[in-house]
Amino acid sequence: MHGTPYAPPRAPADEHGRLAAVHRYGILDTAPDGPFDRVASLAARLFDAPMATVSVVDADRVWFKAVHGLDGVRQVERLPGLCSSAIEQSEPYVVGDALTDPRCAGHPLVTGGPRVRFYAAAPITTPDGRRLGTVGVLDSRPRTASADQLAALGELAALVMDELEGRRAAADALAVERRMRTDAERLARTLQRTLLPPVLPAVSGLDAAAAYHTASLDEVGGDFYDLFPLHDGRWAFFLGDVCGKGADAAALTSLARYTLRAAAIHDPDPCAALATLDSVLKGEYQDGDPRYCTAVFGVLRPAADGSFDVVLAAGGHPPALALRADGAVRPVRTTGGQLIGLLPAPHFVRAALRLAPGEALLLYTDGLTEARTADGGMLGEEGLADHLGPLVPRDADALLAAVDTLLGGLGDGVSDDTALLALSVPARQAPLLPTSRTAPPAQENR
Amino acid sequence: MTERTLTVDSRSHPSGATVLTVSGELDHHTAGQLRAAVEGAPYPPAGTVLDCTGLGYCDSTGITVLVTAYHRAQAAGSPLVLAGLSADLLRVFRIVGLDQIFSYRPTVDAALEALAP
Repeated sequence: MHGTPYAPPRAPADEHGRLAAVHRYGILDTAPDGPFDRVASLAARLFDAPMATVSVVDADRVWFKAVHGLDGVRQVERLPGLCSSAIEQSEPYVVGDALTDPRCAGHPLVTGGPRVRFYAAAPITTPDGRRLGTVGVLDSRPRTASADQLAALGELAALVMDELEGRRAAADALAVERRMRTDAERLARTLQRTLLPPVLPAVSGLDAAAAYHTASLDEVGGDFYDLFPLHDGRWAFFLGDVCGKGADAAALTSLARYTLRAAAIHDPDPCAALATLDSVLKGEYQDGDPRYCTAVFGVLRPAADGSFDVVLAAGGHPPALALRADGAVRPVRTTGGQLIGLLPAPHFVRAALRLAPGEALLLYTDGLTEARTADGGMLGEEGLADHLGPLVPRDADALLAAVDTLLGGLGDGVSDDTALLALSVPARQAPLLPTSRTAPPAQENR
Repeated sequence: MTERTLTVDSRSHPSGATVLTVSGELDHHTAGQLRAAVEGAPYPPAGTVLDCTGLGYCDSTGITVLVTAYHRAQAAGSPLVLAGLSADLLRVFRIVGLDQIFSYRPTVDAALEALAP
């Protein structure tokens, strides 16, 4: 046996390539739709015949994209004689009387069902010569087809091909666009992540934790934060949010972050640092497409008693929240501080506070407070404060865990990225100062 | 992602003021439309009203365009009044400090009245 070339009977030349073309157009098993239904109906009218089809020949079946007068028939077995034979030639295929034509006398549509006697079909041919299927006309009476009718049938098959080409081009364009968009977003996200410190530095006597919550996979926000030492034993921190999304926002984030770090070396005064950022943003985006950010910038000074003195300033940013040892959650008011990089002479507002042992400070971006609650309203700083009020212990990690739970509960209500930076001073160890504690951390007042 | 839509309509009030009406969602997908309207507005001496009554949403890009309108109006010497800001938008304005630079009134009529000599 070996050495004998295998030749499947009756399969068109390069059936493999033809089937690949059928699948490339993605037409098989799609729902009926207008243009193809109209082609079938036009074909029937052209021949004054009761039945017509737009068919696609799959590996083992003939599947009908459109049928006219053959109700309920969606596909038939791929048997020689009708459509399966019609795609073997480039010219229209005609059976004048099926009962006397040996090519199709045994076909189930001839011996049963509609008892087809007449069949004429023109192949649907791709630009590279693959015949996907046919536009066919069927009658239960024997008859002839004129050259004009067959030419018109060929035109209808060409029309089907044009429609399939158009759809494939549109689908391809969409796929390319989607892929490019996904790539761009992935790149922007990667870039955005590189703009955040991978780990926060260890600050003696202070717990610090940060988190970045992503709201949407296809829109990258531009939130940023950092915590870093100044040369004199103090520490600086900032957290902010740039306008816009995607790669542009990532570039702006990078600029904002490095500007604030450089500004802090020059002059760590919080208002001065924000003013420097304002000037840099205005200089960078002066071509009529202004960009801005909101930010909180602060400086931490360790005090002798283990507390930290905090001086901060904000521009256009929601207020940080101070979690006090007595159970209160109070906004650190910086209302009136304006957007950075957008206004002629922006005003930044300074605030000072002391973080005692057992107390914490939470900085966040507006993705958190502008999230929608179940009743449709914004969470707001009040809603956030209410959620954090009962928190024990008031340390940085617990704070971020509580916000994480809150965001998880809001689900789809969160529409923007949220950056979080939590700073807390560990509660004093009882043995160190056994007599000086005035009161236990008061949770009982709630 | 749902498709966001925005419409912008510009008309001249008998007082001579221009009323720009913004409706829909103002975000980085739709901000271009308002930007074009803001760039092309006449900013007459009688004033400009930016009617935000139908503005359901405004993101950070949208705020940039509103501030552009402020700059244009300032440069042209045309007093600008925002009308019909939602409670949410007013709250955002207060947080970002824009309440200090914008004049706003609850309705277009009140805004036109504020502009009347």
